[in-house]
Amino acid sequence: MNLRLLQQTARAAREIVRRLAQTVPVLLVVAVVTFALLHLLPGDPAVMIAGDQASPEVIARIRADLGLDRPLLEQLLHWLAALLQGDFGRSLLLNQTVLSAVAERLPITGSLAMLSLVITLPVGIVLGTLAAYYRGTWLDSGVMGVALLGVSIPSFWIGIVSILLFGAVLHWLPTGGYVPIAQGVRPWLACLIQPAVVLALFQIGFLARLTRSAMLDTLHQDYIRTARAKGLGEWLTVARHAFRNTLIPVMTAIGIILSLLIGGSVIVEQVFALPGMGRLVVQAIMARDYPLVQGTMLLFGLAFVLINLAIDALYVLVDPRVRYG
Amino acid sequence: MKRHLAAASLSLAVLLGTTALAGAQPRGGTVIDANVGGPGTFDPAMIGTTIELETLNQMFEGLVMMDENYRAKPMIASKVDTAPDGMTYTFTLRHGVKFHNGKELTSADVLATYERYAKISPNAIVLANVGSYETPDPYSFVIHLKVPSGVFLDILKSPAYPLVIIPAEFRDKPARDPEVNIGTGPFKFGEWQKDSHFVMRRFDGYAPDESSPGPDGYAGRKTVYVDAVRYNFVPEANARIAALQAGDADVAPTLPPDLLARFKDRADIAVEKVFPGCQNIFLLSAGNAPTNNVLIRRAIAAVVNAQDIADASGQITRENPSILYAESPYYDGAAVKPYYSQNNPAKAKALLAEAGYKGEKIVLQTNSNYSYMRDEILVLAEQMKAAGMNAEVQVVDWMTNANNMAGRASGWNVSTSGFCSQPLLGPQQWRNMVYNFANIKGDTELDTAYDKFFASVDVGERRKAWLEAEQSILGKAYFIKVADAGSVFAYSKKLSGIKPWYNIRFWNVSKQ
Repeated sequence: MNLRLLQQTARAAREIVRRLAQTVPVLLVVAVVTFALLHLLPGDPAVMIAGDQASPEVIARIRADLGLDRPLLEQLLHWLAALLQGDFGRSLLLNQTVLSAVAERLPITGSLAMLSLVITLPVGIVLGTLAAYYRGTWLDSGVMGVALLGVSIPSFWIGIVSILLFGAVLHWLPTGGYVPIAQGVRPWLACLIQPAVVLALFQIGFLARLTRSAMLDTLHQDYIRTARAKGLGEWLTVARHAFRNTLIPVMTAIGIILSLLIGGSVIVEQVFALPGMGRLVVQAIMARDYPLVQGTMLLFGLAFVLINLAIDALYVLVDPRVRYG
Repeated sequence: MKRHLAAASLSLAVLLGTTALAGAQPRGGTVIDANVGGPGTFDPAMIGTTIELETLNQMFEGLVMMDENYRAKPMIASKVDTAPDGMTYTFTLRHGVKFHNGKELTSADVLATYERYAKISPNAIVLANVGSYETPDPYSFVIHLKVPSGVFLDILKSPAYPLVIIPAEFRDKPARDPEVNIGTGPFKFGEWQKDSHFVMRRFDGYAPDESSPGPDGYAGRKTVYVDAVRYNFVPEANARIAALQAGDADVAPTLPPDLLARFKDRADIAVEKVFPGCQNIFLLSAGNAPTNNVLIRRAIAAVVNAQDIADASGQITRENPSILYAESPYYDGAAVKPYYSQNNPAKAKALLAEAGYKGEKIVLQTNSNYSYMRDEILVLAEQMKAAGMNAEVQVVDWMTNANNMAGRASGWNVSTSGFCSQPLLGPQQWRNMVYNFANIKGDTELDTAYDKFFASVDVGERRKAWLEAEQSILGKAYFIKVADAGSVFAYSKKLSGIKPWYNIRFWNVSKQ
């Protein structure tokens, strides 16, 4: 028994290492595509640094200082060589390394995404399950209507309305900004709850619709009929048999949702004045801060790959039919 | 007894007076300013954006600074002696001026600042005319120019890329070095979290200019009553307004006029509309066909109905034909009025016929970041089409748009921007911008006018030279003036002492 468990663990470890090795070419493609797209964009960071009073000579000098006058292939190879040594480069405008700029902002975006996920998962799954179970009733229509609204209303609009209502009118929550958790859980939560809910609304709609669809499929399976036929209670039938089988597509969706939450933070951080990764990337793109955009995109790529890897690993726990090796 | 009573009464009166005075101007508290954004660096030699300059000019001071009427006024210098030939400027420094690190400022610091600026600042061209410096003693600094200049002090006063004094220890610090955040201003660097907030604190060792009766622009005697000012970076205008409404902020700058209705029933909030703010101007490329033909450029200028365009911008605006403000000693609105808001399509058609225009495409490039620029260009395009021009609007992002203008790029003919510091500071500040953005080469008339302007030590001569230059800029339609645009900010009436100006200043401001 122990030997089998050991063999299974070894197989799982080998699979994880194999999948990790596969991330290298994926990240290389991300790196090259990001570099190429960024340099295809018109605009020159030297102009941004030089300001509107600068002469073309000054701009040219800054370009040379930054190495932007070198051939693109040389710049790309130089960057990739530095990456191999763990050097993500230095921001052109922030006067700090890309990694330190990301490290300052990652906890904020990370907290926002995780809080949003914590709201999304129970709400989305419960609503989707209820809608499926009471299919065709007012509850189903109501839940799906709310889900449709959630995926349809732009988050910047909900964000502004939320700030005006809960901040300016009711004075329940701050109108924006961020307080680190070290200064207290309550002010930290007060700052994040509004943006997290706004960010979650879209994902709740998406997850509820997906859960409903998966649950409907499951509820029509033979084993559910069998469970009911053998006299199992309705609660146990749905909770133990239907729900667990619904989890596989839902778990796939969780990976996508987490990626979307990180991506969606760009707009929400802007509206709620949160100093996170989203604002960092937007400002870096606007200023054509090449190393910062390239570095953050690569780290985003790495995060997405790892999230998907973690989801794949979790399949084994949820579904005993899934085996590695 | 009577004498004792009199003394007691006097003491009481003094005490009451002092209390009343203290009551009028309470000390302490932190002002919260919900600002659009924050600084990227505090290295003065590298800072040219309005948002960064607002904080910077309250923490640093130069030999001369801009006064309330935008003219040069001694600040760290107690006086400036200009040689009659305009070749030598001698600055006598005030004694006892302290840096935020406690060190007293001397001429060695001034010299180090100027030498570093010439080495690293993108605006170093302003010191190109300097032949040499002298520091005869710790409180004297002498600048010898290569050729005479009547506007040298006006160049030094500029709050953009300001020539403000930093300690000599920073002489070899690279550009944008994070340690370069020490000046002599009444506020000092406090706390900075990028993209979140910046706090500047009162500098208790500040040596005010006792010769001035009170603050005067960025110069004069400044007194700080609050403990600190915290700038929260809130890019969304609705969120800035909500912050002020909720009491999360005391000041909310850069507000769109159409959102001001939110303050309608708030007697505790004051709204200020400030002129001058910026100037909205169309820029025409003299380097790209078909606008390399002056007749085509003049035809575009002829169709402009400035009022319609300004209305579309959604800003508060006012008419002004000049690219300077009436407060400037060089202003002559009447002389450039013929080029302004001509609204004359018939004239445009005649000019196009004279130019041999065959319907070539005229690219109007604007950006999606600043809605007022985009909307102004859209209206101009319609006015041009009505006069028979083949106007094509191209919307790009601001970075691309600005790059194309500043980099003399091909592919565009007309663009637009808002200029804030140049019209305020005067003709000397316009030169690089005019030549670069309009891609001007070989205009001897303009070159001569500008050369005369810089070389003349007589103010009358300079006025004449500038008028020739401005008539050239607007008459040849390198620039087409649209309107002056004001800025709008709101603040809580808990604050007293806020004086509307082109930037908000927090000295002499108290918080209840």
